[in-house]
Formats: sequence, structure tokens, C-alpha cells
Amino acid sequence: MTRWGMVIDIGRCVGCQACTVACKTENQSPLDAWYAPVIEWESGVFPDATLNYLPTLCNHCEDAPCVTACPSGAITRRDDGIVIADEDICIGSRACMAACPYGAINFFEDSGTASAPAGSATPQASVPERYAHEQHVHGAISKCTYCAHRIDYGVEHGLEVGVHPLATPACVVTCPAECRIFGDLDDPESNVSRYLTENGPGEVLRPDARTNPKTKYVNLQ
Amino acid sequence: MSNTGTPHAGGEMPLSSLSSHSQNPFMDQFNLEARTQRVWDLNHAVWFTLMGLGGGVFLAGRILNLTEDLGHWLGIPMVDIVSFVAIAIGGLILVADLGRPLQFWRAFANIRTSWISWGAWSDLVFLTVAGLLVLPALSLGGSRPFSGLGWEPDGSDATGLALEILAGAAAVIVMTYAGAVLARPRSIPYWSSPAVPIQFLLSSAAMSLATVLLLEAINDVPISGGQMALLGILTAGLLTAMAVHLSTHRDVPGKQQSLDSLLRGPHRAVFVGLVLVLGTLMPTLLAFIGAAVPGARTALSVISFALLVQGGLLLRLTTLRVGIFPPVHIPSTRR
Repeated sequence: MTRWGMVIDIGRCVGCQACTVACKTENQSPLDAWYAPVIEWESGVFPDATLNYLPTLCNHCEDAPCVTACPSGAITRRDDGIVIADEDICIGSRACMAACPYGAINFFEDSGTASAPAGSATPQASVPERYAHEQHVHGAISKCTYCAHRIDYGVEHGLEVGVHPLATPACVVTCPAECRIFGDLDDPESNVSRYLTENGPGEVLRPDARTNPKTKYVNLQ
Repeated sequence: MSNTGTPHAGGEMPLSSLSSHSQNPFMDQFNLEARTQRVWDLNHAVWFTLMGLGGGVFLAGRILNLTEDLGHWLGIPMVDIVSFVAIAIGGLILVADLGRPLQFWRAFANIRTSWISWGAWSDLVFLTVAGLLVLPALSLGGSRPFSGLGWEPDGSDATGLALEILAGAAAVIVMTYAGAVLARPRSIPYWSSPAVPIQFLLSSAAMSLATVLLLEAINDVPISGGQMALLGILTAGLLTAMAVHLSTHRDVPGKQQSLDSLLRGPHRAVFVGLVLVLGTLMPTLLAFIGAAVPGARTALSVISFALLVQGGLLLRLTTLRVGIFPPVHIPSTRR
């Protein structure tokens, strides 16, 4: 049984936010919605201060509280473990947002159009902004899908998921430091399984929430 | 939404000038801090309050056998009218608050796991079954067009009793599910406790009984010492549930910040003053005084109603407003 998962090695992250932007470009997420933000925080005191980075995304939990909370059935877990949201079925209750411990779900508010106010020197939003604005359902939620469309394409065309660039999430492909690794957690020979074997079992965010995430972290301080 | 450190794509205009936007109000996504949820607020507090009140008033009227004594409108007992109106308005507020209100019917879909779905079904079942129950009593222009339906609206025959029990069971879920919606996920530690639905249930029961007592006062129906004592027991139970919730797991990340906000921070005046003291402690004292002093019951029941309803609404509102997510990760340097 295939169970897609991701390992993020914090020790490799350089905080470039390339994954954040690659995700936004790939998924054309709504304005101000970020499916894969890299959290930043400072630690220590000058001259020993450090800037720390924590790449995040939907954790695609085995026991996903968003799936449980959603009243409309818009959020579901596929057989391969990917948690997806159908914006057309979503009613905008936002119960999933309250249930997700990771803040991984975004709500696309209002039903206006992407146009500049009257009298503006620039009459309209840029093409990518308008495209992102128009392709999402207003009043619904959206979230990371592990780039399910790329994975499905890879499976369909016999590409090795997590290895071939067209069959791997955009954030993984883009990362210059190769801190994100993607693959089948149930396959002991997959790149994620081997990485976890070599670097320890990995940790998860908010273990107190008991969501059993499939996004695991190595070198989490 | 302000995202410190957010990379902003270039464009022909500032992103903020677009006429609509998306947001993640639950969490500023680029910072490692505890975040207060900001989506569920007053609308939800009013919805929670009205559902609790509506379900509870129906139950209180039936359990105390007061439906026929508290006035009628179009032949329907006033206590049932209050219940239906409260639940209908609460439901409309819920629908209006949805991101896609016209898709509200989809809320009935996930009855397997979602408390909101269970709540939607219980609202529908309650309004349908309780509405059917009282339908034979409906009087229009002096005639009762549905009197031939074959059951007694007061539940004094088998069919009427069956409808009454089914409506009562649905009313219990209507009173309970709002708290369960908050308590089920573990994302917000202050909410993730059985104490939350217990508080909401006890608050609903107390508000509902106080509403029935108010209707008794309006209709010159004598209020018994037992009713006042019952009100006192419910509010004392609520006070106990609140005390337990406030005094346990105080050091859990997220709950710690919620308690700070409630007891020392911006919500202190409302929570301690209007919810704890005026909205719970005071009605408890007044109810027990009323149980002992027959002559004061009418006045005390009216005062208790006002205190309990404002306290119930503000209890729910402050509970929502101190819903705080702990950071997704607490670095070893901060532990």
C-alpha cells in the first residue's frame, strides 16, 4: 500500500523561501494564502544570535482532525494518504481551520473581483494575481495537496514519484538545499524511508495533538 | 492579514488594493508564536447561545409540565414558540456566517464524524418533530386545521409521547453540540476539554430554566421553591465546571495563554465580572435565596434571567476569543 510522506531536514534549510514561492506558483493559491510557509524565529543573543527556519505545509495526518471536523465532506483522505480539499463541496464553515493544529488551511474570503479601486494608476491586478483570484472558489478553504496532481501524473506515466521532477511536489523539486524529501513511507527502499533509517525516525510538529502526521522532521531543535 | 517576513510577489498594484482577499485568520503563518483564532466570534457565540436556549426551553417546559400554563400564540404554547424561534434564528445566523451560505445543505453530509453535521441534523429533527408535535394545537381564525392528526400536542397519548421523546432527545443534542464542536479537536488546548461542553450544557440548562421562570412571572404563575432550588443547583454546577476548567492543566502551552488572557489580560473584566461573578455566582445566590423566600421569587427570577442570559452569551464569546493555538513547534531554547 502506498503512503506518501515527506521528510524535512531542518539542518539543511537555508531559509530562502524558494519552496514557499514555488508552491504559490505551482498551485496559484489565493492572494495572501500560503500553503508552504517557512516559519522564522530568532534565538540567542548578539553576538551569538541565530535565525532559525522551519519549513511547514499540511502534515497530511493519518488521523486528520480537519477530515473529522468538516461537516460537508469536502476534506477527504485518499487511499494513498494525501488529504485533499474539494473547494466546490466546501461550505466555508471553517471548522477544519479550528481543528488543524498547524494552521495549514486557508480561507478565501469575500466574493469580489480582482480589480483595482477607481482612480488607481494601475487599473488591474497582475495576470498571475487575477488568475489565482479567479480559479479558487470564494468563501471556501484551500490547502496543500502534496501537489497531488504532479504525483498522479507521475504514477500515470510510470515516473518515479519523489525522484522525477515532474512527479514530485513543487516545494521538494525547488529546494536548493534538498532539505525536503518525498516518497512512499510504506516502501522501505524509497528515498524517504532510507533517509529516516539513516537519520533517525524523525519528529512531528504538535505531537500533543495526536494527529499522526506524514510530514516528519529531522534535526528539529 | 499581516505576515511579518512574508515574501510579496511584485505586481502592477499593491496586493492590499484587491477588492477581496484570502486569509488564514487562525494563524500568522510565518511566525513561531502562539496565535489567537479570529474567525469564530460574536456570530458563533450568539448561535451557540440561541441553540442552547432553544433546546433547553423546550425541555424545561415539558419536564416541568408547564407548557399549558405559560401562554399561547395561535394555540401553540408560548414556551414552544420561544424554543422554535431561538433555534430558527440560531440556525439562520449559522447559515449566514458560512463562507458559502447557499451550500448550507452540504452541512448534513458528514454525519459519520462531524459534530457540526450532527448538530445540523439535530436542529432539523428537533424543528420537524417538535413542530409536528404541536401542530394539532395550531389555531387559525378560531379553527384548528390540524386537530385531526391523531396525537395530543402535550404528549399525553402514545404517539404524542413518542414525538415528545424524539424531540427531547434532539433538543439535548442541540444544547450539547456547540461545546462538542470546540472540544473534539486537540488543536486549541483551552477548548480541548470535556469541561467546555459541560459548561455550555449547564449554562444552557440554567438559561432555559430562567426563561421558563420569566414566563411564569409574566403569566402570574406561582414559582415554586423547588424550581428556584433547581436553578441554583444548575448554576452551582456551572460554577464548579468553570472552576475545574480554570484550575486544571494550567501549564499546557496554549491553555496557559488562554488563562492569562481570561484572568489577567484583556478579557478579565468581562470574564471575571460579567461571566463569573454577575453571570454565574450571583444567580446561584439569588436562586437559593428565592428558594427560601417565597415572596421574592418573582423579582429574583427576572433578575436571574437577565444575569444568566448575558453571562451565557459572554461565556461563549470569551471562550471563543481565548481560543489560542500554541506554536507548531516549541524549540528547545524556549522550553
